[in-house]
Amino acid sequence: MRSWASDTFYASLAYIGASFLTFWVLMPMQNVFFPEYPSRASLLFLPHGVRVLAAWLLGWRAILAMLPGVFLVFATLGGSDVFLTSRLLAIFIAVTTAPAVFYLLKWLGWDLFPAADRAPCWACIMAVGVITSILVSGLTNLAFGSATAEYFAFLIGDLSGLLFLMFGLFFAFRYFEHKG
Amino acid sequence: MTEISKLAELRKLMQSMERTLGLEELSPVERDIYYAAEELSKDSREVRTYGLIEHTLVQSVSRPTFFRALKSLVQKGYLSQSGNANRGRYVVNDPR
Repeated sequence: MRSWASDTFYASLAYIGASFLTFWVLMPMQNVFFPEYPSRASLLFLPHGVRVLAAWLLGWRAILAMLPGVFLVFATLGGSDVFLTSRLLAIFIAVTTAPAVFYLLKWLGWDLFPAADRAPCWACIMAVGVITSILVSGLTNLAFGSATAEYFAFLIGDLSGLLFLMFGLFFAFRYFEHKG
Repeated sequence: MTEISKLAELRKLMQSMERTLGLEELSPVERDIYYAAEELSKDSREVRTYGLIEHTLVQSVSRPTFFRALKSLVQKGYLSQSGNANRGRYVVNDPR
């Protein structure tokens, strides 16, 4: 029970932190440096990295662990619109797609979940990030009824977000190892 | 999975990334010693310290620097001391 609570706390906190960085730091910068870019989508969407890594680490438990964080971010951005069917559907898609992709791949014989007897494959996690991104952007755009151009913007943002989050973790580990 | 093992799994994931992208923290001397050890280990399972010191890649390295780098490679897991009682023998570990 304690483990569930801490998983939920850390996964949701990571999602909220990544969303804060994306929407309140990176997107204003994006608007300054690329004012002609018409889309509302972020070109560096860090929360995608959080949901892929959470799904990899926690499996299906990532769905419940991410839910409070994803709901809070949607509520902050959309206000009371968070209870609209399209938003609730988008929340559902955001939390379920990455774990579903990992389990689908496992079912097909490609088990990427952490295991003590094998080294993790970061390129494979990136590949899951691509599949998840295509599915999430496709399904979310269907839910919101967005333009086709948005699909590509979501895809670019998701992939760069996952890659940058992994680089961020890499440098964070290196920093703390040097410090400790 | 405990909190520590989740962190360990994340760290392992980052290690796989840094090795693939060549971002691992090996100094030029450490890298030369590792390459030399890798080459020498093709002939036998273990590598001896004196064999390493005489390798052309390492010849110009001073003794203190060599032993510091060797110790560091062991700490980072690239080499491990042979279980054999005879010290000065190392086993080369593949970057995973």
